Amino acid sequence: MQSNRLGWILLAPTLVILFFFGVLPFIYVVYVSFHQWNPFAADPTMIFNGADNFRKIVFDTEFLNSVGVTVLFVLFAVISELVVGYILAQAFMKEFPGKAIFRTIHTLPLIMAPIIVGSVWKLMMTPSIGIIPHYLNEWFGITVNIGMSPVAAFTTIIVMDIWHWTPLVTLTLIAALVSLPPDPFKQAQIDGANKRQIFFHITVPMIAPAVVATVFIRLMDALRTVDEVWMLTGGGPGSATRFVGVHIFKEVFPKTNYGYGSTISVIVLYLTIVACWLLYVTMLAPRNKKE
Amino acid sequence: MKTVFKLAASALALSFATGMANADDAFWKEAAAPYEGVTLRGVTESSPPSLYIREVLAPEFEELTGIRVDIETTSWDQMFDKAIKDMEAGTGIYDMVYIEQDIVYSYLARDFLTDTTQLLADNPALKAPTYDEANFTTFADYFKGENGHLYGIPMEAFIKIYLYRTDLFGDPDIQAAFKEKTGRDLAPATTHAEYTEIAKFFYEYGQENDLQLWGATVQGHTGHAASWYEYVETVAPTFGIYNWGIDADNNYAASVANGGEMNSDTAKEALQWWLDLRQYAPPESNQSTWTEVGTTFGAGRAAQGLVYGENAGWIAADDTKSLVVGKVGVALPPLAEGVMEEVENGEGYIGYYDGGAFGLPSTSKKKEAAALFLQYIGQNEVQPDWAVAAPRVTNTATYDDPKVQDMNEELGGYYDMLKDKGYLFAGAPAYPFHAQLREAMAPTFYNILTGDLTVSEGLDKMAEIAEATLTELGYRK
Repeated sequence: MQSNRLGWILLAPTLVILFFFGVLPFIYVVYVSFHQWNPFAADPTMIFNGADNFRKIVFDTEFLNSVGVTVLFVLFAVISELVVGYILAQAFMKEFPGKAIFRTIHTLPLIMAPIIVGSVWKLMMTPSIGIIPHYLNEWFGITVNIGMSPVAAFTTIIVMDIWHWTPLVTLTLIAALVSLPPDPFKQAQIDGANKRQIFFHITVPMIAPAVVATVFIRLMDALRTVDEVWMLTGGGPGSATRFVGVHIFKEVFPKTNYGYGSTISVIVLYLTIVACWLLYVTMLAPRNKKE
Repeated sequence: MKTVFKLAASALALSFATGMANADDAFWKEAAAPYEGVTLRGVTESSPPSLYIREVLAPEFEELTGIRVDIETTSWDQMFDKAIKDMEAGTGIYDMVYIEQDIVYSYLARDFLTDTTQLLADNPALKAPTYDEANFTTFADYFKGENGHLYGIPMEAFIKIYLYRTDLFGDPDIQAAFKEKTGRDLAPATTHAEYTEIAKFFYEYGQENDLQLWGATVQGHTGHAASWYEYVETVAPTFGIYNWGIDADNNYAASVANGGEMNSDTAKEALQWWLDLRQYAPPESNQSTWTEVGTTFGAGRAAQGLVYGENAGWIAADDTKSLVVGKVGVALPPLAEGVMEEVENGEGYIGYYDGGAFGLPSTSKKKEAAALFLQYIGQNEVQPDWAVAAPRVTNTATYDDPKVQDMNEELGGYYDMLKDKGYLFAGAPAYPFHAQLREAMAPTFYNILTGDLTVSEGLDKMAEIAEATLTELGYRK
């Protein structure tokens, strides 16, 4: 009983902060989402318009396009990061010359602010001046122009995201791999299991919680990507990289369309929760059921 | 005798000037006494004129008055975001906000700003003897309300000019080659056809001689409003399409069908001309905002370009940043037939007169102290050094200062052009929905740039979106 009370006392400051800076603003956003409100409209006041904003969103091609682009980005980026992160984690489990230096360099992007990452990649990708288009052209005769090619811009953003966030996945998976007990692997080898069978029937199920946690983090991060994209392409060319986060930013800040912007935010939050729930059900529920 | 007379006159002038300075200092000290120890907060864009305020004028003012001035310099987007949220929520964090000329109408419509004329009239003790609204150039008119009062103290003003490389245009071999190819003398273009011809010539010249040189700059970012601005504010007016092609007196009509010009044949011709220029522009053009256009020109990668005056200064004179110091000339932008006559008759403008002012938010809790600082930066006395540090002129007397005259030489006559031809340029139209409409149309504009829409389809769609947005915002009935 006493430890219960102590727990609540220790939690109290966090809960208070969370309430004022998390819950209250969220309730306010939901409230605003049911209004038409642009402070630079002829009538700058908040006007209650029921579910009109939610109805409008269904027919908003720009929003739907941004959702589509974001989903594609999340799929490509998160899956790639998971695969590359796992390969690197396995590599770091072994000893090789220069391992410490390589691991440090590999982890460096993690400490960079997204806005800096976007700026650096913008410099590297500027057509004809940037180092990447320059050498791609000189060595392979490939012309890359992220200002004109939607595919080039989209691919660059995925590569940039992989470069930035794979270290996080690697570190998490190293932690998971290090903590695995050796016995099941030895028993499997004695029973004659090959590497593929060991990977799918022992390694993957045992590191699944860490994988799911990593995917959750990356999924939520990727869904609200703004800074890097803002710096690199501004959402262009055209609407090719106008991800949901960028779309919300443009709707809420320059357009000051607070009502509709709030609606989009609420919908995106809902979609994020649904995506995470589906992921949870798909990856962990069968395992829990078995146990 | 003459020497004695000169010395006596100099001594008299010096003592008079010192006396005046002391008298001025006395005013600032006395007027600021009740506010000593107060801290003023301002937010502005991180630009050379703003940095001069932060680094030079604010410390000077603090030393003189004891009023501390913290100037936050940030990005263009962040500046608006912070200022608008503060004024909208009424938090009163900022005592001064940068008002870009194109946003002032939105701020005035929302009563965000303090009437500085009235504030000083109501508080004569705050009125500095060295401050006078009459000292400002006509650019100050953009910051006046319907009552003719000033709502912001102008702090930067510049025009978007036609910048060209004098070393290339003046090279005898290049001149001969140009004459041979085109049959005419090489000189800054006065028409769009000439401009394109020059761009094509230098593009080919760069290719033939394996140079990193292209024909013209294009501010053609495919995901940033800078490209849209270059079209509506710089290119379209040179074809006679003003105010974004919207007729404010005709229920904000945008489409030709309703009486607007946004999708007129002339507008389509203007946009097509600009898009065609991209083939002669450096490859980075479709990733270029105003900043990159300046950098491209400063790096010597373009023979000519339409460049914001705020960048002209460092391009022409700062050898730590620019490779074309002393090799830059200025001219008026190329025009379609009949446009100059229209402009001279007061029916339009040939380009963009950009700039901004420092305003005092209605929500400020330290208006009196802020009014003192705003007058301080509006005095004639502080202008010349400021104009040399960052090419901006807001006070008429600044043009005649010897330092500014020297700078004018370095800038290829830019200040003369600003002074003598500034009246041909104009700021953004008086729309309280500037950013809202821009953002509504911009995605379609980007699709024209990428080729997803033709010029005709795109401008038709933009006109449609403009009218729908204005209806939704309640301006179009």
